[in-house]
Amino acid sequence: MLRDSVSNLTVAEHSKYSIHEDPAAGQLKAALLKDIHRSVYVYRVDCGGCNGCEIEIFAALTPLFDVERFGIKVVSSPRHADVLVYTGSMTRSMRVPALRAYHAAPEPKICVAYGACGCSGGIFHDLYCVWGGADKFIPIDVYIPGCPPTPAATIYGFAISLGILGQKLKTSHHVQGEDEHVSLAHPQVPYLLRVQLERESRRMAGYLYGKQIADTFLTMLEENPNQVKENVQAYLDKQADPRLSEIVARLVTVYDGYQGAV
Amino acid sequence: MLKLLREVLKVGEATLPYPFEPLEQMPGFRGKPHHDPELCIACGACAIACPPNALSMAADLDQGLQTWKLFMGRCIYCGRCEEVCPTGAITLSPDFELSVMNKQDLFEQADYKLAACHRCGKYFAPVKEIEYAGALLRQSDLPEVVKTNAGALLNICPECKRKNDVSKMVNLYQENKDVAR
Repeated sequence: MLRDSVSNLTVAEHSKYSIHEDPAAGQLKAALLKDIHRSVYVYRVDCGGCNGCEIEIFAALTPLFDVERFGIKVVSSPRHADVLVYTGSMTRSMRVPALRAYHAAPEPKICVAYGACGCSGGIFHDLYCVWGGADKFIPIDVYIPGCPPTPAATIYGFAISLGILGQKLKTSHHVQGEDEHVSLAHPQVPYLLRVQLERESRRMAGYLYGKQIADTFLTMLEENPNQVKENVQAYLDKQADPRLSEIVARLVTVYDGYQGAV
Repeated sequence: MLKLLREVLKVGEATLPYPFEPLEQMPGFRGKPHHDPELCIACGACAIACPPNALSMAADLDQGLQTWKLFMGRCIYCGRCEEVCPTGAITLSPDFELSVMNKQDLFEQADYKLAACHRCGKYFAPVKEIEYAGALLRQSDLPEVVKTNAGALLNICPECKRKNDVSKMVNLYQENKDVAR
């Protein structure tokens, strides 16, 4: 019956069918948390994920992280479950199975949205074929963000949902102050030289590491422009990384070229 | 049996003591993007780069506010925001303990003031971004004339700049016509 009634919904209609938790179930949940102690049964509901989240959940079961030492066990039927873990961005066709799993699990139950997709739809949030997150029609107790969450983040998330650890992340709202100014990063270095160095460094090492290497070089250049080559050589000897030496050697060539032109 | 026990003792315990002791992350681990709101110039490069639209930028032209918003629930920790940030306001921290009970705690917001155009009075760009562009202009090796001319146009919106250019072109055309006569 459930299948017939909800399988052909439009996006606008589906929100009418979302489940709202019974207040009595909330009270039962507190009792559940007190009673289950060291035997938490988890059922995974894969609602159209890429399986990255599943791999991380199973990585959390391996000896290295071993969630079973806390009594957390993955079961293969929602009828045995205390915790339902929703992974994936909730594709249109997974809506009914997700609801069936929800209804099959005995009350009280804890629902967890796992991974970026489970929390909000993640990178797939605006696709035509996804609902965008488990919380669109299932009452979620805990959100575990991550793409995928590492096994350690998984353990932390379970600890939060079982009320063992406290939540760290808090919402924040910054409003621009009266005298907030941003100064240039390397004011002593001429603009053209800085751009040339940054470009060459990024060309060699990619955007992120290129920026970091150029920043290190520019800082050394600013500190002591006369002794920069000696300082750079000392730094490279300390790092002992041939790839870094290669890139920084290119930067020194660029620096020499600029000096020659000036 | 003894051999096995010896082996077990030699290997020791593999399980990490994580929730009871802090877990050290490897260098280069990409965790929660840490945003320094004071360093941010609200240029919106991160919002353009962000593949899952976890970062977004919205301008309220009536209030004169530019709002930067991060939704942690959508972040895929790719680090593109860190790559493109011109001032280094965003860095990916090693913080991985991000689970929350309340979805609202996954949001982070920062409001910046917009500057009004000196000609038409409409809001058009963040104050801090214009200041930063001015500082870059002053630092550049361009001739002084160019710097002064460009500096005078800093606080003018793109539409007024276009109008300015058109009137200049018209004047130039008139002058040329006069010279030709």
